[in-house]
Amino acid sequence: MALLDIQNIDVSYGRHLTVKDCSIELEQGQICSVVGESGSGKTTVIRAVLGLLPGGGEVTRGDIVYDGKSLLKLSKREWRALRGHDISMIFQDSGAMMNQTRLIGGSFVEYIRTHEGISKQDAWKKGAEMLSRMRLPDPDRIMRSYPFQLSGGMRQRVGIAMGMTYQPKLLLADEPTSALDVTTQAQIVRQMMELRDEYGTSIIIVTHDIGVASYMADRVVVMKDGRIEDQGNRDHILNHSENEYTRRLIAAVPSLGGKRYV
Amino acid sequence: MFEDSEVLLEARHVTRRFPTSSGKELIACNDVNLKLYRGKTLGLVGESGCGKSTFMRFLVWLDKPTEGEIIYHGQDITKLKGKALHEMRQHIQMVFQDPSTSFNPKMKIRDIVCEPLLNYHRIRRSEKDRKARELLQMVDLPGDFADRYPHNMSGGQRQRVAIARALALEPEIIVMDEATSALDVSVQETIIQLITKLQREKNITIGFICHNLGFIQSFSHQIAVMYLGNIVEVMPGDQLSQVCCHPYSKALLNAVFDTKMDFSKKIEPIKGEPPSPLDVPAGCPFQDRCEHCKDRCRHEKPVLTEIGPGHEVACHLYGKGAEA
Ligand SMILES: Nc1ncnc2c1ncn2[C@@H]1O[C@H](COP(=O)(O)OP(=O)(O)OP(=O)(O)O)[C@@H](O)[C@H]1O
Ligand SMILES: Nc1ncnc2c1ncn2[C@@H]1O[C@H](COP(=O)(O)OP(=O)(O)O)[C@@H](O)[C@H]1O
Ligand code: SF4
Ligand SMILES: [Mg+2]
Ligand SMILES: [Mg+2]
Repeated sequence: MALLDIQNIDVSYGRHLTVKDCSIELEQGQICSVVGESGSGKTTVIRAVLGLLPGGGEVTRGDIVYDGKSLLKLSKREWRALRGHDISMIFQDSGAMMNQTRLIGGSFVEYIRTHEGISKQDAWKKGAEMLSRMRLPDPDRIMRSYPFQLSGGMRQRVGIAMGMTYQPKLLLADEPTSALDVTTQAQIVRQMMELRDEYGTSIIIVTHDIGVASYMADRVVVMKDGRIEDQGNRDHILNHSENEYTRRLIAAVPSLGGKRYV
Repeated sequence: MFEDSEVLLEARHVTRRFPTSSGKELIACNDVNLKLYRGKTLGLVGESGCGKSTFMRFLVWLDKPTEGEIIYHGQDITKLKGKALHEMRQHIQMVFQDPSTSFNPKMKIRDIVCEPLLNYHRIRRSEKDRKARELLQMVDLPGDFADRYPHNMSGGQRQRVAIARALALEPEIIVMDEATSALDVSVQETIIQLITKLQREKNITIGFICHNLGFIQSFSHQIAVMYLGNIVEVMPGDQLSQVCCHPYSKALLNAVFDTKMDFSKKIEPIKGEPPSPLDVPAGCPFQDRCEHCKDRCRHEKPVLTEIGPGHEVACHLYGKGAEA
């Protein structure tokens, strides 16, 4: 049985149908990359899985089944136990999601303490340890900083550290490395793969970096205009797809020593 | 470095220190010397937190260096005030890493893109609607988006709005901080085609921060690599992969994921941790992670030295006194 089964969902924002008939199946330990047009609904799908659609957003058709259970019917309480623990998310822009008036450490401690009955000191230690596993220098300085005092990439790594704290069974990552440089990106990609290899975490990663998408994925999903335009394994998508949009997308990938515009 | 082009803006010995709560100071930019040439693009790359945004923010008066000067049209722009500053501001525009925090969420897109034009009395209120549509279409967004609010758009769409707003004033210099990282590659390509076209037509100078080397080399005339606040290599954009020689720049090149790479290869990020920006070692900032580190690297800091046309590097392996 699949760990996550997104079954023919439609998602609307108010009266506007944004995602149409989207289905993705994910086995335990599988990694699925979602690529495609910006504005095509990638974030929307991920947020729907997590029950975190912004105001006015709603799954209007289909079902999302996790571990045999429909996620659309969960109570607030059931969500609190699941979200951030079994199912975790890394946002496109963790910086903007953070409370700007609180120390990073304060937010991290609170996050840990919603999932685990440990003391503030222990939670602080655990948070700092996660930060150092993300290769962030000076975890203590970071814990004692406000979000605005960190660079965008550092804030993003803090968000990633939080998302990985409980070795989730399912990790939903929305452009986790867009704001990161290539070396940090390589580190994060490696860490996500290790999470999968060691704990069997299933991952959906949305990314515009087709190189990263291909490297990580067992399966690649291409989205366009609210629909799944194409899907298949890496080799199929990169080399054999007959879908016109997929081919256009692959052709636009910038590469070293490739096309120059000036 | 470009015989056919004048230096439009020059940063000289620019340093920025931030005080921290522990009392130590953090040097986000350390003696940075860079030139922007008219009509050319400078690409700035480096690890997150290395000081790229800190540097580019000086150019748009969001921050001031603690030391050094930035010369533009014969003036040190870090010293401008009042009316002179207001006038100068319209010529240098910036697109941010994260447009969601730079937009007023209560403003419609129409007002957001036209705001700078109104500020500088370039258009009348009655022209707003037409102008907004025109600007949106320039970045391939439907004109109807003028009626939306920023939170009703995807990240990539918001980023295009930010680009449209920055281009509205037809600035002389445009600074883009990770401006396309949130866009899919085909839109990214369109935006680059767009800005390089505008660059050719209007001779715009661009400062571009980006982490994707494959991407940045596709449109940069000059590429500068930054590490822990220091510029460690500057090279001509069209020869990046051939001439790049600083051990850190090479490590950056090796960390690029490519669609043609060997997917079974285990990725090897640079070894070690970047040192804390509060404890930058004496000598070369890259020493603890460098495979070629020698005794000299531990006590003598390498300075940027020209080793080829338009190619400068700060590493003891190259230039004067290099050990073969
Ligand atoms: N206002 C501030 N107060 C204290 N420290 C700061 C402040 N702004 C930046 N810093 C520090 O300066 C360093 C450089 O930050 P900067 O935002 O310029 O990095 P960056 O290269 O743009 O990184 P990224 O690619 O992640 O955006 C970081 O160590 C950061 O924590
Ligand atoms: N809160 C919202 N209200 C109305 N429309 C929205 C909202 N959020 C996103 N949209 C629209 O939904 C579409 C998909 O957005 P999104 O899921 O963010 O795309 P992606 O992440 O693929 O860039 C876009 O056309 C966007 O304008
Ligand atoms: S100066 Fe020495 S330590 Fe620094 S990059 Fe060059 S060889 Fe490596
Ligand atoms: Mg998105
Ligand atoms: Mg930055």
